[in-house]
Amino acid sequence: MTLRVGIVGGGSFGRGLATAAARAGNDVVLWSRSARGGETAGFRTTDALGEVARAELLFVAVPSPHVREVARALGAHLDGAHLLVHVSRGLIGDELRSITRVLREETPVVRLGALAGPLVAEALAAGTPSGAVVGTLFPEVGAAVRQAIGGETLRIYTTDDVAGVEVGSALVGMLALATGFAMGIGSGPAALAVLCTRGLAEAQRVGARLGARERTFSGLAGFGDLVSAVAGDERPEIRLGRALAQGASLDEAARAAGAYIEGVSIARRVTRFAEGAGVEAPIAAATAAVVDGVLSPRDAMRSLMARQATPE
Amino acid sequence: MKLLPTRFLPERPLRLPRLRPYVPQPTDPPIFWFNPERDDIVREAVRRIVEQKAESGRVELVLNDVAYHEAERLERQRDAESRESLGFWRGVLRRVGRMSDAEKRETLRSITEHMVRDIAGNFDPRVYAFATKALPKLLTGVMSPSQLHTAMFEAQPHALDSLLITEGAIEKLRHLATRGTLVFVPTHSSNLDSIVLGYALMREGLPPVSYGAGKNLFTNPIISFFMHNLGAYRLDRRIKAGLYKDALKSYSTVLLERGYHSLFFPGGTRSRSGMIEQHLKLGLAGTAIEAFARNQSRGIDRPLWFVPTTINYALVLEAETLIEDHLKEQGKARYIIEDDEFSSVERWVDFFRKLSLLSSACVVRFGEPMDPFANPVDADGRSLAPDGRVVAAGSYVRRRGEPVVDAARDAAYTTLLGEAIAERFLRETVIMSTQLVAHVLFRAIVSATPGTDLFGRMRHRGDISVPIAKLCAEVGEARDALLALEREGLVHGSPALHGDPPEQLVERALQFWTGYHTAPVATHTGAEVVCEDPALLHYYGNRLVPFATRIATPAHAAAAREIALLGQRA
Repeated sequence: MTLRVGIVGGGSFGRGLATAAARAGNDVVLWSRSARGGETAGFRTTDALGEVARAELLFVAVPSPHVREVARALGAHLDGAHLLVHVSRGLIGDELRSITRVLREETPVVRLGALAGPLVAEALAAGTPSGAVVGTLFPEVGAAVRQAIGGETLRIYTTDDVAGVEVGSALVGMLALATGFAMGIGSGPAALAVLCTRGLAEAQRVGARLGARERTFSGLAGFGDLVSAVAGDERPEIRLGRALAQGASLDEAARAAGAYIEGVSIARRVTRFAEGAGVEAPIAAATAAVVDGVLSPRDAMRSLMARQATPE
Repeated sequence: MKLLPTRFLPERPLRLPRLRPYVPQPTDPPIFWFNPERDDIVREAVRRIVEQKAESGRVELVLNDVAYHEAERLERQRDAESRESLGFWRGVLRRVGRMSDAEKRETLRSITEHMVRDIAGNFDPRVYAFATKALPKLLTGVMSPSQLHTAMFEAQPHALDSLLITEGAIEKLRHLATRGTLVFVPTHSSNLDSIVLGYALMREGLPPVSYGAGKNLFTNPIISFFMHNLGAYRLDRRIKAGLYKDALKSYSTVLLERGYHSLFFPGGTRSRSGMIEQHLKLGLAGTAIEAFARNQSRGIDRPLWFVPTTINYALVLEAETLIEDHLKEQGKARYIIEDDEFSSVERWVDFFRKLSLLSSACVVRFGEPMDPFANPVDADGRSLAPDGRVVAAGSYVRRRGEPVVDAARDAAYTTLLGEAIAERFLRETVIMSTQLVAHVLFRAIVSATPGTDLFGRMRHRGDISVPIAKLCAEVGEARDALLALEREGLVHGSPALHGDPPEQLVERALQFWTGYHTAPVATHTGAEVVCEDPALLHYYGNRLVPFATRIATPAHAAAAREIALLGQRA
């Protein structure tokens, strides 16, 4: 039985999802503000939210700062029967509110999920082997995502630790940016390994304050996603970090990366949140300082290395 | 003091003889129809369990499990029940391997039926009528015997009425009660809660509810008589077999499907610490979601609403036992309190005598009802989306356009509903003067004992005091901050908190405590108020834990943060 799948957001990730879902034989419609209608790569496009709301499973694939606005408009067409999954790598505001929470606040949908992991637009579109994890309390949401995009080349795992998936995915974005800096200043594999390992430990500490379980960070949404970024999956965060390390301004670097980068603003917000919650987050603080031009990437790395080492 | 020697107590609570069956009127609340429907409800609850076990091929497993657990319990219990039933369970254990499938099924059916019958309640309209008319007056008599004569024969408002304040969405609930099923989910501080709530519903013209009460509450024969005849069903917490839990769930689901208004304490047991419960497992309340889904899947569009309710006491009957248990058992498994102030008639009399001297000792606040998916509802109970649009509650149990029953989905809805109710508990809490004064005094203990843990602080009995003028000033500050939170819709204050000057709030709190609790809680000597019992100050003050940092002035910020941490650990 084919599934009606709706994609909200016409960026590269949204198009990748639509291509993958269409390839799996589903009935797919993609909404974007600038859609002209018609059919490409096996799916229809539309600029009417009411059209996309006819689907049973909806993916929200817009950058996190736009989620609330899009969800509000979309919410007017939804009811309790919809399944809503977002792929936004981000946390909102200074209290690091999760995207599922925002979706709940703006739409009547309760069966929500977050899709994360080492899944990039190119792999989705091309169907190269990859994997992802759905964080949801509802097994039927995981099953629907599996039916929509899972298959021979894409393994979809599930977990009920929604907070873990959302925090993991957002903070890996930030760590990828930091790793990009480190690569840009010529750090060796061992330095990158220390940065990534301690970065994940930091993400776990922050996550615990937001209701996440530690072990989720060793899964695809945390460890898996970070390995993929470091192994060179052409992630925009890495490109941005490298460009900044080579002396580009934030604007130039963002242009070079060619995508919205959540990591830029989240580093500042995680730093503030961690201070308020009494959690140590030195890597977030150093990343924020580099992004804001307070420290050079080299000085930031030096300040991290100079910290007192404690039992792991 | 015991009212009757226990050997004369029947195993089943007394019922009035049925001379002529009561014929329910169309305008009667659903529970008036319970007795004629009871056998049918029991049969349906049993049928579902047996069918489900048979379908999953687990009949033998279930029989072994229940027989093993019951035999083990009865071997430990060594009482009349053991003598009567142990042989039966041992026999099941011996024979089950040789039984035919039909025999196994029949054995499971008869065991389940026995369990459900033991659980099933009773509703006697005559007892209800008596309770509505005469009971409040009689209780008034207990509270102040001099008023008994006038109370019984004159239609004046009686003392009980001035004791209890009811507020919140009462009118809306009255309307909804005629259109669907109400599920009250209150905070739980005392065994008096179900009685207080039952009385509040009666007084406000809201329908009586069906609810489950621990079998240990049925030990007081008078209470037992009323509870049993007013729709309470019995939960035996000693029975550990999974089948018993299934029986309870199945019974509760059938009741809810048929539209019986119900009451569940989502926190499970009474709050030992005095804190507002925040980790709600919901337990049987979760059956309401299944009941809703089952009705939908059979084409019955009967709405069902949860009503987060707070029951706020200035004085808690069992405060001493509860906080002692909390301190003793913190971090360990809790035990079932079999014998506390609730089973002592003397403590009851003391308690009500004490209250009769005061007014507004208890506030019951009915929160805004919500649908099973935590959506707000309009005046007619229709579910509302965040943009104010009406959405069909039934859509939440639909999959591919069809309403379906799905246990995993409903477990997820239950988790989310628990979170939503916990959030509402905070907003609907009504802070009483005793709680505010206790909080300020406990905060003073924390400030005076830096670096000490909770148990160290409990040993400071009577050696920390606060000048009365300082206490009044701090109570005044905390009150103003709390009322500012109330204006933001984050909490509520009792009428006394709104109207009285701080001096009076302090006096009132001391008055409440003096003469009921066996040891003084705090005493006013000369220009000082002495913290006599840190445990009870901790208990009453704990109600304010979620607001501690927001109502503290910078001078108390450190102590308030420490108190707030207690809430995170709880």
